[in-house]
Amino acid sequence: MSEPISFVIPVKRILTPEDLTKWGESETYKKLNAFIERLATSIKGLTNEAETGASEIIDALLAMLDGIETILSQHPVVEDANTSRFGKVEFRDFYDDVKEQVVGLLAPIVQIYQKTAYGDPTVELAAYLSESFGNRTRIDYGSGHELNFMALLLCLDELRLFVPEDDKALVLKVFIRYMALMRRLQREYWLEPAGSHGVWGLDDYHFLPFLFGSWQLYTHPNLRPKSIRSQDMVDMFHPKYMYFECINFINEVKNVPLRWHSPMLDDISGVKTWAKVAEGMFKMFKAEVLGKLPVMQHFLFGSILVVPVGISEKGDQDDDCCGHSLLNTWGDCCGIKVPSAIGASQMNKQQGIKPIPFD
Amino acid sequence: MDFDSDVPMEDAVQDQLDPSLGTATAFVATESNASSNITQLDEWIDQLSKCQPLSEENVKRLCKMAIEVLQFEENVQPVAVPVTICGDVHGQFHDLMELFKIGGPCPDTNYLFMGDYVDRGYYSVETVSYLVAMKVRYPNRITILRGNHESRQITQVYGFYDECLRKYGSAVVWKLFTDLFDYFPITALVDNKIFCLHGGLSPMIETIDQVRDLNRVQEVPHEGPMCDLLWSDPDDRGGWGISPRGAGFTFGQDISEQFNHTNDLSLIARAHQLVMEGYSWSHQELVVTIFSAPNYCYRCGNQAAIMEVDENHERQFLQYDPSVRPGEPTVTRKTPDYFL
Repeated sequence: MSEPISFVIPVKRILTPEDLTKWGESETYKKLNAFIERLATSIKGLTNEAETGASEIIDALLAMLDGIETILSQHPVVEDANTSRFGKVEFRDFYDDVKEQVVGLLAPIVQIYQKTAYGDPTVELAAYLSESFGNRTRIDYGSGHELNFMALLLCLDELRLFVPEDDKALVLKVFIRYMALMRRLQREYWLEPAGSHGVWGLDDYHFLPFLFGSWQLYTHPNLRPKSIRSQDMVDMFHPKYMYFECINFINEVKNVPLRWHSPMLDDISGVKTWAKVAEGMFKMFKAEVLGKLPVMQHFLFGSILVVPVGISEKGDQDDDCCGHSLLNTWGDCCGIKVPSAIGASQMNKQQGIKPIPFD
Repeated sequence: MDFDSDVPMEDAVQDQLDPSLGTATAFVATESNASSNITQLDEWIDQLSKCQPLSEENVKRLCKMAIEVLQFEENVQPVAVPVTICGDVHGQFHDLMELFKIGGPCPDTNYLFMGDYVDRGYYSVETVSYLVAMKVRYPNRITILRGNHESRQITQVYGFYDECLRKYGSAVVWKLFTDLFDYFPITALVDNKIFCLHGGLSPMIETIDQVRDLNRVQEVPHEGPMCDLLWSDPDDRGGWGISPRGAGFTFGQDISEQFNHTNDLSLIARAHQLVMEGYSWSHQELVVTIFSAPNYCYRCGNQAAIMEVDENHERQFLQYDPSVRPGEPTVTRKTPDYFL
């Protein structure tokens, strides 16, 4: 058995463009990027239904997502026209419930870890898992939340819980299960897109199903990127391929043709081969997700995914909640009256370095 | 110079041709120069109304002319009644055309827009070009305030930057417009009674005169009064609250009551938030939110609205649904660099 690691509560650390540069050169960046490339290449040419080996850890992850889906079912939306935000406030009950039950949800996974190692990584895993489904205050979701789910999987990878044979299942079973859960959350609670580029982005919410999805199609003999323009093709192939499932979802929620609401996807449909799309998705992911301050300023660093060397000490300013630590329950510090002087001084304390706000 | 808002106004460009006024200092133009400007502007407006973007060179000329007009406007731009007050547009060009159909054509109807012309929609370039051209052509008939999206930082996240790159192949047009945004007035005061702005109130602003003292010609700051005016939201909770947006504050009914009382206002009109009916009252009708982008992001299914205020300060809301979009977008497909 290896030496016990002392696990810590992960915190936000990236705040400035200089921090972002250091992040791009860091070990954690390289690990995260390599992990996603490894998973994508493992499913090259495979459909959603492809055979993947079974393993205890994969089953535990699927059971965890089932548990979260059960929590979702316990918080149906009660019709209420008088909310100031577009999103449904019942999402907050779901979020709180996940947070409350997170130790139990992770317990079977932690038990697998503890068969071969000392220590309890729950505190780190919990932070990534809790933030994988959207922002509690704003009731929104974006590629940064999606990235938290991958960070959770990367933590487990770093803790040596996976064997190479698990890679395919991590995408085709676990990630697809996560996507199904996210789509339900987005539909039920009307999650707002977080930091979306509007029509000029890939998608209101997600990045990775396009990346993984294009690798599934990499070697397809007949389907072409332009096939997404045909609703018949989308109808036929969305159960088999993540990329088509994404197009199907967008066509369902948007009520004008693809060229209007998704010119970026339409542009990509002009690329000749899926191979080009798949390789391009790696570049785009690095630039538009891992390389963007508005996304990465929310990324959490702990003892498993360590903070880049030399990053500014400042950080963990929780823009959601008065800068209090993640241990605080949200209700305790949000919504209190802030007299103007306190409000002003609180703003002044931050000395001009603030996370980029949400529109 | 005093601005008598009770006098019915003619187009300012026309005003300059009228020697009897003798007060037009915004830009000194010879008669022939001014009329050639009008011809030019009318051509651009005609082109833009067909949703065809201006060339980079013409955007440059337009922005230069617009700075000449906007730099002389006040932080609290006075606006006369009657006027039609509008909220977020977000690049939904065809819905903006619908707005002018519903509200009546400009300059026959006076308009006040409360910001957020760009980002998210497909036609931010055409939308903001059109409104700026109208502003220069009819400076006293249309007022365009700054929204939180009229900012360098925000447009790089929410789409306008990407759109300029996509449509012009470089960031030049984005730079021209974001430089121009610095000159947009940040609030307006309709007949001394309705305070109009994009976001909401600031804990650092108690009187409208304090807004007049701000130096607005700059990028929207991350904090402070100018930031708050463009970012804050009304809230059901009393007092000031931390905004979930990470900029500005939330303010309760007690704050609105105090502000309206101190400044002898009847109403705060603001935009900034999606509301399903297109308009929404808060704080017992001390604050109204107006949102003018129907079916926001092509999926929200919301109505849009504008608010007409007549000579007697009677208010009427006009709601509308998305316009019918003609055919396919005119932009041709282009492979993004990542996939070359």
